[in-house]
Amino acid sequence: MRHDLVIRVAGESGEGIITIGETIARIAAREGLSIVTFRTFPAEIKGGACMIQVRVSDGKISYHGEKIDFLVCLNQDALNENYGDLHELGALLCEAECDLPEEKSPRTVYRVPFERIAVREIGSRISKNIVVLGTLSQLLDIPVKSIEAFLAEKFAKKSKAILDHNIDALQRGIRFAREKLGGTSGFKYPSGKGDRRLLMTGNEAIALGAAGAGLKTFFGYPITPASEIMEWLAVHLPKMGGKVLQTEDEISAICAVAGASWAGAKAMTSTSGPGLSLMSETLGLLSMAEIPAVIVDSQRGGPSTGMPTKTEQSDLLLALYGSHGDSPRAVLAPTSVGDCFQLTGLAFDLAEKYQLPVIMLVDQALSARLETVDPELVKQPPAVTRLSVQPGADGGYVRYRLNESGISPVALPGTAGGEHMVTGMEHDELGNFACDEETHTAMTVKRYRKLQMIGNDPLTRGLSLHFGDEKAEIGIVTWGSTAGPAEDAVRLAASMGIAVQAIVPKILNPLPHEELKRFFARVKHIIVPELNFTGQLASLLRSTYRVPTISLTKIKGVPLEPSEIVDKIIEAQESLSVRSEKRYGRAG
Amino acid sequence: MEEQDKFCEYLSGVSPVWCPGCGNYGILSSLVEALGEIDLATKDIALISGIGCASRLPYFVKAYGFHGIHGRTLPIAQGVKVANPELTVVAVAGDGDGLAIGGGHLPHLARNNTDLTYLMFNNAIYGMTKGQFSPTTALSSITKTTPFGLFGEPTHPTALAIVYGATFVARGFSVKKEQLKDLIIQGIHHRGFSFIEILTSCSSFNTTDMNVARIIKRLEPVPASHNVEDKVEALRLATDEEKIYHGIFQRVERPTLEDRLQEVEKAAKKNGARQFEALLGQFQ
Ligand SMILES: Cc1ncc(C[n+]2csc(CCOP(=O)(O)OP(=O)(O)O)c2C)c(N)n1
Ligand code: SF4
Ligand SMILES: [Mg+2]
Repeated sequence: MRHDLVIRVAGESGEGIITIGETIARIAAREGLSIVTFRTFPAEIKGGACMIQVRVSDGKISYHGEKIDFLVCLNQDALNENYGDLHELGALLCEAECDLPEEKSPRTVYRVPFERIAVREIGSRISKNIVVLGTLSQLLDIPVKSIEAFLAEKFAKKSKAILDHNIDALQRGIRFAREKLGGTSGFKYPSGKGDRRLLMTGNEAIALGAAGAGLKTFFGYPITPASEIMEWLAVHLPKMGGKVLQTEDEISAICAVAGASWAGAKAMTSTSGPGLSLMSETLGLLSMAEIPAVIVDSQRGGPSTGMPTKTEQSDLLLALYGSHGDSPRAVLAPTSVGDCFQLTGLAFDLAEKYQLPVIMLVDQALSARLETVDPELVKQPPAVTRLSVQPGADGGYVRYRLNESGISPVALPGTAGGEHMVTGMEHDELGNFACDEETHTAMTVKRYRKLQMIGNDPLTRGLSLHFGDEKAEIGIVTWGSTAGPAEDAVRLAASMGIAVQAIVPKILNPLPHEELKRFFARVKHIIVPELNFTGQLASLLRSTYRVPTISLTKIKGVPLEPSEIVDKIIEAQESLSVRSEKRYGRAG
Repeated sequence: MEEQDKFCEYLSGVSPVWCPGCGNYGILSSLVEALGEIDLATKDIALISGIGCASRLPYFVKAYGFHGIHGRTLPIAQGVKVANPELTVVAVAGDGDGLAIGGGHLPHLARNNTDLTYLMFNNAIYGMTKGQFSPTTALSSITKTTPFGLFGEPTHPTALAIVYGATFVARGFSVKKEQLKDLIIQGIHHRGFSFIEILTSCSSFNTTDMNVARIIKRLEPVPASHNVEDKVEALRLATDEEKIYHGIFQRVERPTLEDRLQEVEKAAKKNGARQFEALLGQFQ
């Protein structure tokens, strides 16, 4: 029997809430447990409500959990805000003075005067979170030794006095639980198998994946929620001989990527929607001039400045088509932190092999999500580099040669005999401006053929996630981080006796046509859950495959919950039993 | 004759598409002569341009050429230099490309002191799009989009580069080919961001502002006594109302972007270079 526990810690930003969650996650990862976290960020720069939710499991999980088993609230606002998400059988640990809503069947509540213990007994308000950690670990039966070891590491660089101070705070929290709260709660932290897992955020996984893929130059402009990618690389990439430069804006960043990549370096930028909008002219240049580039878009609530700290999946169509003219690019969409690592490597491989821009679409929730990753997956892959030639000093090099493969070998600047022009203007094989119809047609076909080749490339085969029952008549197609709640929804529906199958393509351009067509042939209803208003994936599927879809959209700045998807599944199930007349796509 | 052959080595063989009488021809010849005199290998030259008549130049030169998008000449050039510091990078663009749509990039390359040479062809007009005003067109000019006279004051490219802290700032004139060649040579030799404003006439759309005879009348070399580290004096010369000075206004030594990035790498590798596996520890 799988053992799962969903813990949420909520309070005021600056109180060390996130540290509590991260400590629990880190310890679990070391014991071989699976972790998926979700955290919200206050819109304010300092202060404001924040929370971190940690789901710990001894099985495989891909979502942070819907109902909370164990809720920790450090103030009244946090309680008011989060109490509704507590499971009927869940328990609450809160600051002693908090008022609780009236309930018919009250849940277990543990009240602790954290503030008083920290301020009066220890004499420092900032150790409050460690007191909470102590109480929480006692109630959940988390081994104290692991926590102490973790704190020792965390404060290794600080003085012994600071460590002692924290251990004291931890012990006071534990003692209070033992003496006043009856020791342990009914909730038990799962016990691990002992195989250590790596724990990282989506942004860290992307940065690490890029470093592993041989990234040499990174250019970027700060923007929430993507900045951590550049910040991580700024610290670590130079250790591997790579270069990181913050530019004056996103246009400069992507243009520097274009220049650096043309000069032969693997190059990348990361941004969010507003930055991708600014980059769109250069995306066309990269397509036209056939220059490899990796662009990460961590989507946030849009349009315009939108909701910078909230999650959304509303840049799909921008990623697919953003730029004037016919400008092919590949689009990848990781579904988990492990994917963030692996697909970043793939993004570089595709960019290099096919000489085109590759966009990776993640979102705020995935960027910030701490998740365990199997160390076996985090291996430096044998990286692909672009097909290049050494023309020799006598020249005769043709940059945009129209050959059978459509991939023209590259002579990197500095190569004797390879002098050539690259250009954003339509050009002949030599790179000279040409605007006759034959050339524009031949070159456009050449550039688009790459997408077809990507679709047939073993590198992109078997990328989609599949779950559920292959015989089910109700199907789900989703993308990116919505895969997690969809997977839980499929399981939940199965437990209610409704068979559902789901497919989650991780490459959205080109779509895995054969796989999707087979899927559509198997199902009667196609539910498409995603985090945007207009149903962008649903409309892409309708226009590409002429299939009816049932769009399920959400724009609340937070991920879809499995129960919301299950509601849609039940509707579909009911209509199946009623055998209603033919239904055509209801765009939500 | 031999000399001539040498410069021809730097021509791609593609015939320039500029109008007859366009000042850009003079610049092209000064540039290839400069490249010849430095004796650069064509394989090591990267010519980066934006969009406009000026930006067509790379097609005509034998080198690695990148014809980018309007206004983004400098960011692309910077990326090239960061990726491969061995290359001699020359950026070429018009006054509109560099000061209107792309005006936001100039201060930052100047700050970074990216080691490349930027030739800004100032013809005081948008040539490529056939005659709308540019940021350097004279006040009250009648252009296609200012039929009642232009109301924005003209900017001074050289003055801006001085204020932005470019470590090499010069002004040349397409007609003064020898001097221009010399400036380009010095600009390329300078370690750091070299900015050269090149006055050039658009024979089709602006024969007033850059009228050769009128410029010649006002043209004067930067005084030999000018101290190229004196920013205030450089600025005074660059904005002189009567004379148009040509020559070197500012030249100072500062670490380049490449130097800085090397320092960063050295600091990061203080405890030894790291392989991929060594980065995994932090996630345990
Ligand atoms: C984003 C964008 N906007 C507008 C244009 C149209 N355009 C092409 S060149 C140009 C101005 C050229 O003027 P300048 O940079 O001074 O170069 P010149 O032709 O005078 O040498 C304009 C507006 C474009 N190519 N791209
Ligand atoms: S339009 Fe003006 S700048 Fe352009 S080529 Fe003709 S003369 Fe030269
Ligand atoms: Mg101009």
